[in-house]
Amino acid sequence: MDRNSAGAVAVALAAALTMTVGGAAAADDAKYPNWKGQWVPVHAPGAAAQSFDPTKPGGPGQQAPLTPEYQKILEDSMAVQANGGLGNDPTAQCYAAGMPRMMAYQAQEYVVTPEVTYILLGGDDNLRRIFTDGRDWPEKINPTYQGYSIGHWVDTNGSGTYDVLEAETRGPFKGPRAYDPTGLPLHFDNQSAFKERFFIDKADPNLLHDVITVFDHALARPWTVDKTFRRNADAQPDWPESYCHVTNDRIVLGNETYRLNEEGILTPTRKDEPPPDLRYFKPAPK
Amino acid sequence: MLNRSSTVAAAALACALTTIMLMAIGSVRAADGGKYPTNWKGQWTRVVHREVEVQGAFDQTKPWGLGQDAPLTPEYRKVLADSMADQATGGLGNYPTSRCLPSGMPRIMTFGTQEYVITPETTYILLSGSDHLRRIFTDGRDWPKNPQPTYGGYSIGRWIDADGDGRYGVLESETRYFKGPRAFDASGLPLAFDNQSVFKERFFIDKTNPDIIHDLTTVIDHALTRPWTSDRQYRRVSEQVVQWPETWCQEGNQNVLIGKENYLLRTDGLLMPAKKNQAPPDLRYFRQRQQ
Repeated sequence: MDRNSAGAVAVALAAALTMTVGGAAAADDAKYPNWKGQWVPVHAPGAAAQSFDPTKPGGPGQQAPLTPEYQKILEDSMAVQANGGLGNDPTAQCYAAGMPRMMAYQAQEYVVTPEVTYILLGGDDNLRRIFTDGRDWPEKINPTYQGYSIGHWVDTNGSGTYDVLEAETRGPFKGPRAYDPTGLPLHFDNQSAFKERFFIDKADPNLLHDVITVFDHALARPWTVDKTFRRNADAQPDWPESYCHVTNDRIVLGNETYRLNEEGILTPTRKDEPPPDLRYFKPAPK
Repeated sequence: MLNRSSTVAAAALACALTTIMLMAIGSVRAADGGKYPTNWKGQWTRVVHREVEVQGAFDQTKPWGLGQDAPLTPEYRKVLADSMADQATGGLGNYPTSRCLPSGMPRIMTFGTQEYVITPETTYILLSGSDHLRRIFTDGRDWPKNPQPTYGGYSIGRWIDADGDGRYGVLESETRYFKGPRAFDASGLPLAFDNQSVFKERFFIDKTNPDIIHDLTTVIDHALTRPWTSDRQYRRVSEQVVQWPETWCQEGNQNVLIGKENYLLRTDGLLMPAKKNQAPPDLRYFRQRQQ
């Protein structure tokens, strides 16, 4: 081999070496998208803070395609709430929100690994795991409020980087669950299924979409909503810690809801509400 | 054009460079993927010492409450004694978790299952109890100027290559800025009510058993006469987890705190005393008094 030839081979191989090393590192780092940071739910003006469809007001304003039976449950829930009760809102008693309401809480973080995408939430429902390791649905799933999620990454534009996470979440769920604080109900059979498509907005790298379709027997047809989340510009934000029991002042005894005042004394939540039944207490000495 | 000898020489050079290239790729991958420990995956639960009568204490090798031999100040020793006396008569004592309030540090590390998710910037400890999760920031940040106090505290850590093998094996962290009240265990063994605790932890895999992780925790707290250190250990249950548990304190919680009194809620929704001869709740705000 003459000097020139050897030099050419060496240069070519060195170039290949450099490209391949770079490629290997790039493939590892860039195969999955950069969804780092804190994401805060976006709500249209006038929309309720924890509504499922963030572009519309809560309750009837959501225009959920409820069956007549579940439309009545919503109406009854709101009537009870108007009278001081909790209605069909189990979260008001510090029960889990579950899917899909857990995706309405104040701050989210997406931790993407090849096997699992973790969605860390700032509410009492504190995290979701979306398994992306190619697993099949397990034969037996224990009921949970959040369900069991399997997903897969998609490179929609052939760029070599995944840009869409598609996920399906199945039950059996625990319940009852409501979409929002009005008590907008999911079916009490807890057989919901959710299909989601997570992706960054094409025009805004700081806007994340979670397009959710709900399949539920309380609905006359599948209900699809585009929930969006904005990335906090602060790279080191406070991560809120929210515990329902720390601030909850409501107590449910039997079918009645009471409230604790600042002194810790029980008070009614509606006019002429009967006091709790204290038959198990000895009468006070006269 | 290359002649035969040149071709052979070129092939040899190509082989050599290919070998170098593969080694280099390997080292790049090792540096990227192997810098952080990869053997912390899976589901971990606290090690159970069968000889200990009551589990779930800060020092896993000793019974809870007085059996912990915590170096409490006399003031906080009395808080513990009062808590256990109240519990003996049906009260909740100094144990906020029984009211479904968060446990916070360090009891947060006692419950259910754990998962460690390691990224260069943050190590997440995902917990399956009612306490949420921990973030240990390893991105080199300094303490924040005005942190919001939380039950879990604010944790900053750093990775250490303790044995010089090119891989991190130890995570050291410090945790500050708390809410309270918090207790070490269900007896009400107290942390100081000033919530000024500081925790120093050292996480590492056991040298002889890759399925044991240590969390060597030192508590610095004004309820203690000196720092208190315990080697808390967790055993790997499974590397491939089919389903993670979901725990909700509210499910099955019978305790109802009204004022300073704890009552019990029956399955029929009626309130009942938790203590003998316990006074009923004050109903002064109800027009229709119980007859």
